[in-house]
Amino acid sequence: MATADVPAISRSRATRASLRLAVLMFMADPQWLIPSMIAPVIFGVVAFELFRGAGPYFLTYAILGAGMMSMWGQTLYGSGWAIGQDREFGTLEPTVQSPTPYVYVVLGRVLWNVVSGLMGGGIVYLVVLASAGSPPAVPDPVGFVILFLFVMLTLASVGILFSAAWVYTRYSGFIQNVGEFAFYVGTGCMFPIVLLPFWTNPIGLFFPPTWALDALRYLSIPGYVGFSWGFWPDILGAVVTTLVYVAIAGTIFKRVELHVLAKGNLSDY
Amino acid sequence: MTPIPAIETRGLTRTFESRKGFLFREVTRTEALRGVDLAVAPESIFGLLGPNGAGKTTFVKILSTLLLPTGGKASVLGHDVVDDSAWLRPRIGLVLGGERGLYNRINARDNLRYFADLYGIPTREREARIESVLERVGLTWAADRRVEEYSRGMKQKLHIARGILHRPQVLFLDEPTIGLDPKSARETRKLVRSLVSDGVTIFLTTHYMFEAEELCPEIAVMSKGRIVARDTVAGLRHLVGGDRTLEAEAYGFEDREVATLRALPGVSKIVSEEYGPKTRLTLRLRSLETTPDDVQAALPGHTELSVRERRTSLEDVYLDLVEEEAR
Repeated sequence: MATADVPAISRSRATRASLRLAVLMFMADPQWLIPSMIAPVIFGVVAFELFRGAGPYFLTYAILGAGMMSMWGQTLYGSGWAIGQDREFGTLEPTVQSPTPYVYVVLGRVLWNVVSGLMGGGIVYLVVLASAGSPPAVPDPVGFVILFLFVMLTLASVGILFSAAWVYTRYSGFIQNVGEFAFYVGTGCMFPIVLLPFWTNPIGLFFPPTWALDALRYLSIPGYVGFSWGFWPDILGAVVTTLVYVAIAGTIFKRVELHVLAKGNLSDY
Repeated sequence: MTPIPAIETRGLTRTFESRKGFLFREVTRTEALRGVDLAVAPESIFGLLGPNGAGKTTFVKILSTLLLPTGGKASVLGHDVVDDSAWLRPRIGLVLGGERGLYNRINARDNLRYFADLYGIPTREREARIESVLERVGLTWAADRRVEEYSRGMKQKLHIARGILHRPQVLFLDEPTIGLDPKSARETRKLVRSLVSDGVTIFLTTHYMFEAEELCPEIAVMSKGRIVARDTVAGLRHLVGGDRTLEAEAYGFEDREVATLRALPGVSKIVSEEYGPKTRLTLRLRSLETTPDDVQAALPGHTELSVRERRTSLEDVYLDLVEEEAR
């Protein structure tokens, strides 16, 4: 039965397997209905009421604010939590012990969280649409959709780093809980960061979604004045920071793996 | 030519550090392994016995690339477990067992599909391979049931199915029958035996003596992070004083009586222990010369004396070795 030759490991297949597992776990667990289905409805209603009467583009503000709030939790928080769940189940050890580099497993989980975040965004859109009775006026709908997906990508890059923290230590949940809403406000998800105190702006610039969201607002709200010099500088900032995050994640995962193997805390939860 | 050992360690050490306190951090260091030297022949079952906290799981985790050693060297299939972990991982299997380590909310087949993909098992072979391991561990009938509905024994079988799914050359089994009912434990042992006939080297840790005795031609005993003995079961019996054991029980013995027994031919060791209101003397015998009658004769005046003979069990050996190490 034992084989001397071993099959080649396909990283894309491992990522697909991890994505499939995440979907199966989602379907099997009704508690996910709360963040993925019910929370976006609440965010949508709150944002609609909050921005009502705030100018002709208040619907776009409401959709972006509530949509991002929903996707933020799903994509970013969910990515870290998925790894925390592996710790809880005791499946982190056999997964790390497999020949697939762990970062490709994490990528699968993050991809699923992106998809589920998009579903949340879709629900928010429908809620705001139902509340307003008419769709928001978006000057460039195709560009909006493309940029919306780009925002998700930038969120996913932060999600991968959060996941690394969960692999590193079981106490990541504490950091994540404390930081979640601070990051959320700091990156301008609900309100543009120019509305925040000036000293908070440089912090927001470290996060790829801050740039991508500002670009999205430039595209979808005529007359919008964001924090940067315009649409393309925002895109450039988002691309550069996302690439930096991905590069850090690629480097950090190898180091994190070595660290946890040295500490021997993979089975702690 | 001597074959390359399937597993070899030299001076292997592992120290764990735990910290507590926030402002004034207190660091506690625990030496889990203290210089372990061991070699295991390929295509055999090797047993590692030891009490809880002896370092067995730490040892297995290092060998299966899940933990870095603090010092020394360890190799599996001739490859270093630290430097060549990427080469080793597809060639070794690990069964840690227990209630954790499985995705409980999905079924067994999906658990195995996930790991089949992570191990790169060719897609065209995957389903057949999953069927084959499920059948082998006797879980075909429950393959589509959620794992959270499984009994402890079924979960253990699924752990083993996952461990052998990618056809490893070396399989590490850490306490594979712990917590199982006798029937499940027997089935698991049968399965383990069948794996060796397939050419797999099995490294088994356990603290069930009969399991080690039944499965493992060679056994090492670990205590406090050291290998305190390593031999065949017969060799270990000889090591602790003999193949035969005589037990004498009465309401207390005097020192001179113990000295008389010690002088009997072939008696290599006497252990005294309190047993309720009685005292039990356990005599290890290297030869056939001394019989229960001789012991009876050497202990006159005891109205409630009982003497019985039995074969020295692996449990006797184990307890002697572990207690000696503790002293």
